[in-house]
Parts: sequence; C-alpha cells; structure tokens
Amino acid sequence: MSVYTNDQEKSEIALAGLYQVDDPEVGLNIVDLGLVYQIDFDDAKKKVDLIMTLTTQFCPMGDAITSDTRNSLEESFPEWEINVELTFDPAWDYTMISPEGKEFLGH
Amino acid sequence: MMGPGVVGLQQTTSYKVVVPFYIYASISLLVGTVLLLFHTDLFHQHHFTPYTLAITHTMALGWGTMLIFGASHQLLPVLISGKLHSNFLAYLTFLFTGIGIPLLVYGFYIFNTGWILKSAAVLINCGVILYMINVLLSIYHSEKNEVHAWFVAAASIWLFSTTFYGLLLVINFTSSLLPRESVTYLSIHAHLGLIGWFLTLVIGVGSRLIPMFLISKYANERNLWWIFAFINGSLISFLVFKILNVSPEFYYVSLIMGLIGILLFGNHCRLAYKVRIRKNVDNQMKISLLSVLQMIIPVAVMLAVLALLPSTKNQNLILLYGFCIFFGWITALIFGMTFKTLPFIIWNKVYQKKAHKGKTPAPKELFNERVYQAMSITYISGFIFMLFGIIFQKDFFLKTAAVLLLMAAVFYVYNSATIILHKPKKQ
Repeated sequence: MSVYTNDQEKSEIALAGLYQVDDPEVGLNIVDLGLVYQIDFDDAKKKVDLIMTLTTQFCPMGDAITSDTRNSLEESFPEWEINVELTFDPAWDYTMISPEGKEFLGH
Repeated sequence: MMGPGVVGLQQTTSYKVVVPFYIYASISLLVGTVLLLFHTDLFHQHHFTPYTLAITHTMALGWGTMLIFGASHQLLPVLISGKLHSNFLAYLTFLFTGIGIPLLVYGFYIFNTGWILKSAAVLINCGVILYMINVLLSIYHSEKNEVHAWFVAAASIWLFSTTFYGLLLVINFTSSLLPRESVTYLSIHAHLGLIGWFLTLVIGVGSRLIPMFLISKYANERNLWWIFAFINGSLISFLVFKILNVSPEFYYVSLIMGLIGILLFGNHCRLAYKVRIRKNVDNQMKISLLSVLQMIIPVAVMLAVLALLPSTKNQNLILLYGFCIFFGWITALIFGMTFKTLPFIIWNKVYQKKAHKGKTPAPKELFNERVYQAMSITYISGFIFMLFGIIFQKDFFLKTAAVLLLMAAVFYVYNSATIILHKPKKQ
C-alpha cells in the first residue's frame, strides 16, 4: 500500500527511518506491513503529522510500535514537532502488506 | 522536539496484572508434575482418591486456570475490542484464587473435608466471581460484541458454575446438601470445567488469535457461531441428561455435538493455516496447533468409555481421559501460548520506551530456544509414554513418563523465569 504525503522528498527521508521500525511480533517493518497511511509536513511550523494503524485496535504492542515510530521520526527530523495519530478507519488487513513484505513472510 | 502523545492509542492491560498469574501457573505445573512422579500408582486405582483430586486441581486451577486468567486479562482487549474493566478486580482475583488453590490442593491431599476444603472453595469462588464480573463488565463497555466476546462471556459464567458446584460438593462431604454422595456428581463438576470453561474459552481465544498470528486470509464468523452452539449445546444436553438420570446411550448425543464443535474448530484452524500469509510458522504456534489435534484424543477416549460400559476397563479409560485433557491438550496449549505472549509482555515493559534508541532484542530472543526445544521433546515423549503406561498399566512407562514431564516442567519454569527476569544489556 502506498503512503500518502504532501512532500515526496521529505517522505522518503521519513520512510528510510520507518523501514527500521519493526512490528515486534511479525518481525516485519511497519511500512511493508502497511501500517503507515499518511505523512504530511508543515515547513512553516516545522511539524510532521503521521497517520498510521495497528494490526488490531487493542494491540498489546501498540505503545511500543508508536513509540518506536515517534523516535524514528525524531531522529529523521530533529527539532521538528512530531505528531503520531492512530486510525482504525480503514482497519488494517493483509491486503495492505507490500509485495516485499509478503516475500519476507515467505508468501 | 516532543509533540503531544499518540492520538487514538488504546491502553492495554498492565504487565503488573498479568505476570503474577504466569509465575503462579509455572510453580503449579512444577508442583503438579512432582506430585505425579510420587503418585504414579494412582493410575492403578479408582479416579476418586485424595491424590488424584490434589493433582487434578493443581493442574486444572493452579496451572490451567491461573495461566488462562493471566493471558485472558492481557488478551481480553484484543478479543472484545475494548479495555479491561478493572485492574483492581484482577489483583483481587489473583489474591483470592492464589490463596484458595494451595489450600484446596492441600485439603484434598490430606483429605481434610472440614474447614480447609470449605474455606479454600469459598476463596476460589470469590476470586472467580470477581473475574466473571470483570470480564462481563469489560464486554458490556466494549465497542463491538463479536462472537469471540460471547465465547469469553460464556466461559466465565461456566467457570463460576464449576467452582460454585465444587463448593456444593465440598459442603456435601460433611453435610447432606445433595441427595447422593459427592462422587456421584463429579462428572457434572468436571465437565462444567472442561467443556464450559476450558474448551469454550480456548476455542474463543484460539479462533481469534491463531488466524491473527498466522496473518491468515480466512475469516468465517458464521462457522464460529455454529461452534459456539455445538459446544454449549453439548454441555447443556449433558447436564440435562445427568439431571434426568437417563441411560448412558443418551450421552452419545452430547458427545457427538461436542465432537462436531471440536472438528469444526479444527477445520477453522486448518483453513486459517492453509491460506496464511505468514508461511514461516514458529515453534510456539506449532505446539499450539498440536494442542488442537490433541483435543480429539479425550473425545475418542470418552467414546471408548461409553462403548465399553460397564466394563472394568473403564477406570483406566477415565484416568486416561483426565490425563489427556490436563497433561495433554491444556498443557500443550499453554506451552505454546506462554512463549507466544509472555516475551511480548516483558519486552513491552523493558523496551517500550527504548525502541529505536539502540539495538533491542526481538521478543522471541528473550527465552532460550534450545531449552524450549528440550521442553517440547521431553513433554511430547512424556505424554506418549504416559499414554502407554495408563493403557497397559506398566509402572516402567508411568515412572519414565512422570520423570520426562517433570523435566519438561523444569525447562518451562527455567525459560519463563529467564523471560520474567530479563534485564536490558548495558549499551
């Protein structure tokens, strides 16, 4: 699933970091798993808004995954304000896994 | 620069609620296997003996129920799409059942039918009532009530029915509360617990988690409703037949309903496995899937019990039935699920805020994989040896099996302790 953004160049910087953020249970990064929906950048306010999901709404690892995501964005964009928002609309399902992700899972 | 907290993040159950149940369960497994080792001669006797009751309740309550309490407090939010109603009620559940269970086991072991057994049964009932209230209120406040929530709700009510009925049986030892002796009602108590509590809960949780862990494309809620109906229908019909005191042939109806429910669940897992995205299945999932197959053995044994009625061989078969459930199906399931859940609970506690700040191990690296393999091998071989020992009444097989199961328990405790005591390496 592609990630929506208003700034392709900065999005690539963000995604390079987010590819290092794994879902600890699956062992696959959150981008290939299809958890990242949208990343928007506000240059004037130096603000990053990321909208993502979890594989299930009350995922016990939710706190860890979102903390990891926030830390990654803080590393990629130091001095910027980072907002991470979870949404379950649309809810995640297996069709959101990228071809690379499916290959990693042995599919 | 830090922004506000994560919008939309739902709080899950604290590890402080969950971990004590896991510790308690692992100690109970050790106690249960030690008791088994010292009393393998019970497989030559009637099933209603002090030692059999002590071991059965160690395994059913101390091991199976306490671990399922822990896991269900953790996983309930995933199952019902809502948060646990109260951590405090969960602590109280632990307190009451945690004191009640060893008292009950000790009471059975020395067969003190007085205050020890009665106070133990009251304490366990208090804990179970609080658990049931916590579960039902969590479900009541949750956003969606899918079929999995119904399984969990029904299981908690059946559990209370089991322990309340157990309390009546304990009182009946010394006061004539029921028309006949307690041993007459034992099968009702046992099946309320086995089918109502364990089977209903395990199917409810398994039908949600197995496809989730496998990242399966398969989902069939209608099938799960059928399973719910067959399993509960099986138990209710059994209770009605018992109360009406009908001839044994009637129990085939309950047994066949139960068998259909289990086969439908087995097929649900098979289909989920078949169309999974995650092809590399870990060892914990493999042993959990083995436990699904192990569900069939007790049903086959019960069919044999009915077919051979009133043969003298039945005593053996009843003990085999109990062993296949507690040391077979339930133990295999817990062995798999402990190492699928506990590492994540501890990893979350230790590394949650450290993520992406230096190298962190994966949750599955929190326990020793070789010890896990040793546990699996000793457990499976111990289980098979015990089956031979019970069927052929050979002491050599019984003792060897008991030693192997004790070894499996030691490996389990070692790995559980390794996870729980995990500390991050200094960078």
